[in-house]
Amino acid sequence: MKLQADSLHIMRSGQEVLSGISFSVDSGEIYALLGGNGAGKSTTLLSFLGFLPPSSGRVCVNGNDVESDIALARKVIAYLPESVSLYGHLNAYENIDYLLQLSGVSASGEKINTALDQVSLMPAARQRKLRDYSKGMRQRVAIALAILRDTDILLLDEPSSGLDPGAIDEFHQIVRNLADNGKAILMVTHDVYGACQVADKIGLLHNGKLVGEYAATEQAHIDTETVHKAFSSTADSPAHALSA
Amino acid sequence: MADSDVWNIVLVWRQDKTMSAFNALIREAKFTARDRTVGFWMAVVLGLSSMSVGFGLIEVERQNTTIQNLIHADQQDRSGGFEKFEDWGSAAYYSFHLTYDPPSDFAYAAMGQRDAQPWKHRIRMLALEGQIYERDAGNPSMAQIGRFDFAFFAAFIIPLVLIMLLYDLRTSELGAGRHDLLEAATGQPFCFWLLRACLRAGGLFLCLIAPLIIAGIIAGTTASKLALASLWIFAYTALWTLLCFSISAWRKPGAVILMTLITIWISAAVILPAAGRLAIDKLVPVPSGADILMLQRETVNDAWDLPRQATMDAFFSRHPEWSDYEPVKSAFEWPWYYAFQHVGDQQAEHLSTAYRDGRLQRARIAALLSLLAPPSLLERSLQSLANTDLHSSIRYEAGVRTYHAALRAYYYPKFFRNAPFDKSLLKNLPKFEPGQ
Amino acid sequence: MKQVLLIAAGEWRYWLRSQLALGGALIFLVLIVATSLLNNLRMEAEKQTRTRQQTEAEETFLSQPDRHPHRMVHYGHYLFRAPAPLALLDPGIDAVTGQAIFLEGHRQNTVMFAESAASADFGGLSWLSPALIYQLFAPLVIILLGHGSVVRERETAMLAPLLAMGISGRTLIAGKALALLSFAVCLLLPLVAGGAMALAGGETLIALLSLFGAYCVYLALWVALTLLASTTFKKHSTVLAVTTALWFGFSLVLPAVAVDLASNSEPVAGKIETDLAMLADSRKVGDGHNANDPALQQLRADLLEKHSVERIEDLPVNFRGIVAMEAEQKLTKVLNDYAASRMAAERRQEKRLIDYGWLTPVLAVAFLSRSIAGTDLAHYHRFQRAAEAVRFAFVQGLNRVHVEKLSYQDDINRNKNEAAWQRARVDASNWQVLDTFQFRTAGISQRIQHASSSIRILLAWLTVMFGILFWCGGKIKP
Repeated sequence: MKLQADSLHIMRSGQEVLSGISFSVDSGEIYALLGGNGAGKSTTLLSFLGFLPPSSGRVCVNGNDVESDIALARKVIAYLPESVSLYGHLNAYENIDYLLQLSGVSASGEKINTALDQVSLMPAARQRKLRDYSKGMRQRVAIALAILRDTDILLLDEPSSGLDPGAIDEFHQIVRNLADNGKAILMVTHDVYGACQVADKIGLLHNGKLVGEYAATEQAHIDTETVHKAFSSTADSPAHALSA
Repeated sequence: MADSDVWNIVLVWRQDKTMSAFNALIREAKFTARDRTVGFWMAVVLGLSSMSVGFGLIEVERQNTTIQNLIHADQQDRSGGFEKFEDWGSAAYYSFHLTYDPPSDFAYAAMGQRDAQPWKHRIRMLALEGQIYERDAGNPSMAQIGRFDFAFFAAFIIPLVLIMLLYDLRTSELGAGRHDLLEAATGQPFCFWLLRACLRAGGLFLCLIAPLIIAGIIAGTTASKLALASLWIFAYTALWTLLCFSISAWRKPGAVILMTLITIWISAAVILPAAGRLAIDKLVPVPSGADILMLQRETVNDAWDLPRQATMDAFFSRHPEWSDYEPVKSAFEWPWYYAFQHVGDQQAEHLSTAYRDGRLQRARIAALLSLLAPPSLLERSLQSLANTDLHSSIRYEAGVRTYHAALRAYYYPKFFRNAPFDKSLLKNLPKFEPGQ
Repeated sequence: MKQVLLIAAGEWRYWLRSQLALGGALIFLVLIVATSLLNNLRMEAEKQTRTRQQTEAEETFLSQPDRHPHRMVHYGHYLFRAPAPLALLDPGIDAVTGQAIFLEGHRQNTVMFAESAASADFGGLSWLSPALIYQLFAPLVIILLGHGSVVRERETAMLAPLLAMGISGRTLIAGKALALLSFAVCLLLPLVAGGAMALAGGETLIALLSLFGAYCVYLALWVALTLLASTTFKKHSTVLAVTTALWFGFSLVLPAVAVDLASNSEPVAGKIETDLAMLADSRKVGDGHNANDPALQQLRADLLEKHSVERIEDLPVNFRGIVAMEAEQKLTKVLNDYAASRMAAERRQEKRLIDYGWLTPVLAVAFLSRSIAGTDLAHYHRFQRAAEAVRFAFVQGLNRVHVEKLSYQDDINRNKNEAAWQRARVDASNWQVLDTFQFRTAGISQRIQHASSSIRILLAWLTVMFGILFWCGGKIKP
């Protein structure tokens, strides 16, 4: 198992945000964690990166407990935050080159170009500063970076928010290709439709609990009422909304 | 500011668009009062303002005590000293006369030149030029930094506080995504922002001025002076408020606005005065003080070697009333001694006048130039109200010269009419009256 | 380490593409270069003027005709203080202290004619010097460039990915600090250029390096402070507001407040007040012009006994000269005691002021800088002591001439007639007792030793700031 959460509990500022969730993601698999605001989706992602230590239970990356060696876990993970902006004053090449070097990898311009081709970023845009990019384009650069870093695992935080439907489709295609090449991908999202489209497995998160897990084949059977409940009731709980 | 506050404002606004300006004022005032950053700066200003006038009052008190002690010591010195004199000449030679310039009733707010220029002298009947530039300055290590007096605080620090209060008037709301919401809700965004800016600045003005007024009541300052000072400080605060307000309206990041305002402050408070000082000092040459002193001393020293008549002639040319003086045939005569002392002053007079005129001329140009540098302008205005500017110190200098002239007018008839020495007449020595 | 360098390089690239950073740095550069040039020209002119005035004063003294030696005691002499070589970077307190002193017998005059007394008055900040610019405005440029360093990553959501890439918080901060520190060193290049000129003016390399080091430490401290704010606060507007408020609190408010606090807690009596006491004490010494002064009777008796004669006329030396010499000696002791106690009081007050450096590093660096430059209170006192040494030497030299080269008979009869007046004088060659004078700063080790408490304060600030920063770096969270 590439990623594994085992009855994971997490406290943030005195509130329990995750109350004992368990799931796992394997190579070649896309796992979508679905939930409303404050359900604990981002918290789950951050716990795999070792930013939030579990109060009980454990998170493992490549079978190793994250807490025992955070650096080791981070080495194999590429993480895309929700509002991925990268560096606005640098162009695509410069961004990738700089961040790659920081993560201790070096790549030739040719390799960078190949990666950018892979995420279908228009060659004309590659020399422009990222501050002029749309979110979708920035996301592609970030994915290209992940490809070049050649990590086994990809964590995506709300990748489809703020993208137009066409961009979402293209993005899903890229993610699918990555998974097919053996990456383990965990994405958190509140986009039910998108999740159904791309994910191999969907976990439904509600108030810090995993209330349902569906394989791709079962997706047609997702109980709309459960989904509806999962999204609506969290809004009644401002404490959770604030701590998200 | 919590979002609920914004919603309150928006809702209230929507409900009653015709509500009176007064209600808007009250509402914004309440809103401003709830702002913790604003509250913090108000407390800082109130504290520092109180501290500055407090230091000022203590210093004025100390200077007054010093003057009282000196007057007392001077009287003791005099009453003890009279006994041993045997002639007019030695009475004049050994007597010191205290002159002083007491701090005004507003000096607590602006110490100004009192830290750099002399405000007390003990002078003798000898050549005055050698004495009048004696400085009784305090520790130069302290003078170099300067006091934290109210004038410095109001003129140099207050603009910075205003900048901190007002630069992000709009950018903070923009950053929080409330800007357009507020503008849409108010209908008259300009008035809304201006009201908010004025409330912050007004609160700051009150915190600044309250300690000044209270200290003024303690020190017994005349009401007109306080009113005038308040007016100037008000105008000054308004000027910086408007400046901050207009620059903060730029659609630029907060950092750019802040740095622009600080650059303006640096230009007005540091660069322009520094450049102005260099230019004025270059433009208006003032004779070196050392030259005045050297010329005067050379003249006095040379007089010993010159025929006495040469000195006396020079003296009589300025004081023809004593030209019928009959010199005593003796090795040493006091009238001649005092005559050459005075001729020393006469010789250096053109330099001394040029030195004074040059300083005044520099001050005049500086006053003009400070119209472009508001911090200097306010500081100078407060100093002139407090009688601590260069003009006041030159007035004191003139007072000392007048007094020295009065001393000479007292002694000359005794010297040049060869009047017999009479201790009791020393009681009639002219007294120094500090000028108004 | 490679990561640290990469982050530093990345930060430099950001600045080079940011108009705000470039604009701020450029304004600073123009300001410092213009001030350095102007100050350099001014100091050069001052130096020439005062050196010329000094030579003239010495020539005038030496070219005086044959005279009674005591006339020369009263004729007196002027000393001028040429600026220290490093004054072109930090004029220190020179503007508010006098630069000329008149020396004569029986008196210690004050140093007169401070430049600030005659200059157009624009307040204290108008005395702009390279040192003041480094103390006041270099921190502002560091704040301008550094305030966003960490908080920018946070606001653009790059902090989490960076940390997720395995870059530790400390590495990130070390990189940002390296960039800012290297920038601070660049800011100091004009100081090095100015220092090179001081080197040509006779300053030692060690002094220059110490000055450079002092400002490096000072700016490093602001780097740490800025980074600390940038790490601690979540919004860059907060970081900017806090650092700017600290800047003007540290550099404008606290030093002036410290002056008032120090002058209240450690007051120094005015000169006129101490002069009153001093006059009373000096009268006890006896009047050196009056050979019959009761205070000097013992001297007369001792001398007569020593030479086994009955009358002072029979002494082999000029008694009036002996009296003058003895009185000068005793009086000088009184004057020196008063001068020493006034200087001690000023030093105590200054010490109190220096201690306020614990509240604001701006004070600490100001004192350190002017100590190294040789333009501090210690050097002002040094000049006064040097001047007193010159005064005492030439007055006693003239008194010795009076004792040895002028007969007592000629001396007491000098006022009898013109011929007697002519006899009661000595040859002008005797005026050579006057030494040439050139004011020199203390040795660099002495200057640094004198500034030891400021150095301690600055280093303590630096250690504490970087300590907190290191601690915060370990706790950095996205």
